[in-house]
Amino acid sequence: MSFARRLLPFILLLGAGCDAPQPELVATDVTVTRPMPGMTMSAAYLSLRNNTDRTITVTRVTSKEFALVELHETTVEDGVARMRPLPRLEIPAGGSVRLERGGKHLMLMHPTGPVDSVSLQFYEGETLLLTVGTAYAAPRPDRD
Amino acid sequence: MGSRNSIVAAVLVIALAAGIFVALRLQQPPPELRSALLLPAPTPLPEFALVDQFGNNVSRETFRGHWSLVFFGFTNCPDICPVTLQILASATKNLRAAGAQTLPRIVLVSVDPERDTPELIGRYVDYFGDGNLGVTGSLEELNKLTSALGIYFEKQPGDGETYAVDHSAAVLLVDPAGRLHALFTGPHTVQDYEHDLLLLMGSS
Repeated sequence: MSFARRLLPFILLLGAGCDAPQPELVATDVTVTRPMPGMTMSAAYLSLRNNTDRTITVTRVTSKEFALVELHETTVEDGVARMRPLPRLEIPAGGSVRLERGGKHLMLMHPTGPVDSVSLQFYEGETLLLTVGTAYAAPRPDRD
Repeated sequence: MGSRNSIVAAVLVIALAAGIFVALRLQQPPPELRSALLLPAPTPLPEFALVDQFGNNVSRETFRGHWSLVFFGFTNCPDICPVTLQILASATKNLRAAGAQTLPRIVLVSVDPERDTPELIGRYVDYFGDGNLGVTGSLEELNKLTSALGIYFEKQPGDGETYAVDHSAAVLLVDPAGRLHALFTGPHTVQDYEHDLLLLMGSS
């Protein structure tokens, strides 16, 4: 049996693996609202699904289009609305976390220039987990 | 004589039936509000002096003559403030489309007068429709209004221009006499506003 023949099953296996790669972290329903008139800050909403068997912790989010991106959470308790920075975002093994209006969200501040579309990079420590890009959506769903 | 008795009997039966009908009507509870809390007695707004997006004075007199939905928020709030104003705008739009005779005016009072100039708050409220009122001014005058209405707000520590302001999430309904009539404490939904506003604005 030639060397190439002995290697063939491994090559096929590698090919099969490449055929259906399972991303560790998947983002869906990505929405970045256009800043309100006169304002410069935006909010980003999305769902993050963890396809691994370990907890993924997003420790930092960056964007080329904004100098500052922070994880925030809006809560309403005892009739008072509060917005607080979140130090990290944990996505449980095999589970999802939803960032949505009136809840956890990304706050994008200090645009670096005119913005039409936004890219977001999600990090766990120094490891880049995921990059997503999307066009702006209107802050009011029935406008623009 | 017999026919006279019959007439009296008939009148008595009709009177009894009418009495029972009225009694039953009176026993029916008024239609229930879904979200709003109706004040037992409307409370007049206090004396205060703020300004709107056009630089016009805003006092309790400004609220006379029409119903107002008053929300306290700030323009550097990209999440819950636009969501709440959107709900108020959608409910008002739906009421207009349904042919409602009375429509409320949407009023955003800034709890961040330090950053919210009349121009900024004007552009913010204009985005949610024509005729909305953006109100800002001095902290002292703002405190007169909020303390009388039980509205809480507190600036949070931040980095220079980047800070948040905690604030009451309630939306207040002010009647055409300039009195606090009801409040919506949330969670806010378009359908609840439509339902309750029709009942509340039609009741006085």
